[in-house]
Amino acid sequence: MSGAQTKFGALEGVTFREMFAEAVEKATTQANIPKKEIEAVFVGTFNPEMLIHQGHTAPLLLDYAGLRGLPATRHEAACASGAVALRAGIMAIESGLYDTVLVGGAEKMTSVSTNKATEALAAAADDEFESGVGLTFPGVFALAAVAHMQRYGTTEEDMARVAVKAHKNAASNPLAHFQKEITLEKAMTPKYVAWPLKLFDCSPISDGAAALVLASDKKAKQYTDTPVKIVGSGQASASMNLSGRTDLTSFEASVAASRIAYKMAQVTPKEIDFAVVHDCFTIAEIIAIEDLGFFKPGEGAKAVREGITAKDGSKPINPTGGLKAVGHPVGATGVKQAVEVYRELLGAAGANQVPKHNIGLMHNFGGTGATCVVNIMRRSDA
Amino acid sequence: MSEQPTIEAYKKNIQEGKFKAFKCSKCKAVIAPPLSTCYNCGGTKMEWTTVSGKGMLVSFTIIYVAPDEFAAEVPYIVGIVELEEKTRVTARLMGFDPNKPQAIKIGTPLKLDYEKGKSGKTYLAFRPA
Repeated sequence: MSGAQTKFGALEGVTFREMFAEAVEKATTQANIPKKEIEAVFVGTFNPEMLIHQGHTAPLLLDYAGLRGLPATRHEAACASGAVALRAGIMAIESGLYDTVLVGGAEKMTSVSTNKATEALAAAADDEFESGVGLTFPGVFALAAVAHMQRYGTTEEDMARVAVKAHKNAASNPLAHFQKEITLEKAMTPKYVAWPLKLFDCSPISDGAAALVLASDKKAKQYTDTPVKIVGSGQASASMNLSGRTDLTSFEASVAASRIAYKMAQVTPKEIDFAVVHDCFTIAEIIAIEDLGFFKPGEGAKAVREGITAKDGSKPINPTGGLKAVGHPVGATGVKQAVEVYRELLGAAGANQVPKHNIGLMHNFGGTGATCVVNIMRRSDA
Repeated sequence: MSEQPTIEAYKKNIQEGKFKAFKCSKCKAVIAPPLSTCYNCGGTKMEWTTVSGKGMLVSFTIIYVAPDEFAAEVPYIVGIVELEEKTRVTARLMGFDPNKPQAIKIGTPLKLDYEKGKSGKTYLAFRPA
């Protein structure tokens, strides 16, 4: 029905609840949906306990945003917190219990030191069996990168190209954390975090919030002539630790969640006009576009090299800049991805508009890839 | 080795340099790290087993930026290792040069070892066989 995000970045002087309230305000006023019509709220936040020493965040956020009294539930699935909140909203509408719900996500990450934020992020990995030997979060994706490199010949330069593309797209996105293009040479700066991943392969630590309003088919007609329909939704999980996976060149939860979503939407990967995928690290985008069935296993890097995934390519991926350059306030990300797909579908993405925009897909994935949500959205007149 | 295995004992065994895996009492599948239920047969009764210590490198990374606990040890190598018994564990790699990652190959045969970290912890580790 409607969706909005705050600016992402290091938002000094703006607190957690203020960001959330701003996103709610934008998402409701933009669509002329009175707050009193909202019947329930589903909120994605990842680890405010460690980041801002705050638990029980759903009623806290609602209270400040003028939604006091409504059923308020917080959802957590690491980096997929936003998308699991969105799925809860979808299920609440589909069950017939509510006609109008709000889904929001927020994370305040920059009020602690980078070390503390990294520690909070590390809580999304298996502490007893994996983090305990010193495997870090970037390390998890580095394991996937090395497997992909040695099996398919993917290179560090291929990964750097994903970063260059993200920064290029985000340069025209006023809400992005980084609005500056980078050269391939800069992206290749050998500042290793977890070899082969370098600084520019990693998404940043950001603050931000996003919100959207979902309505039943019947109710949607009262609000707008141009609703966007969520036609397919899939969720799957996988082993938390990488040692529990049989193939490190693919994330099995992405494959499973997308197949469920395609089946529900009755579309094929080929019919998807553009996608917003979870590029927490550059290698994650290369693997995601293979797992989602857009390219054959091992051919993701080639697609990036040939410009197929560029904003004006035949399969635009992350046309607004991805997590890599827009930023990754963990709980907000999944909601923001849906907002981006929504705006692209309506043709309202400005300088970041993709040429063909009938059907779009969002892919949000949690932690080590142990949770994945894929939603397929379609313009109602398409 | 007849007592019911626990996660606490699994971790303690590693600290003492005496790695043991879980084994499904029903289908005899070797399981590490621990699970309550066997994904091979669905069995829920576990027992201890020793392993041959032979394994193969599945993937690896070299950690340069680490949490405080491990910061004094960078750069260090973490790998996924498939044991001869067909289960995979996450462990430290020893006996490789972290400054020459291109020389480290997936598929390299490895053998079980232990590494005493500056953190005071003992890590499950593997070195070239």
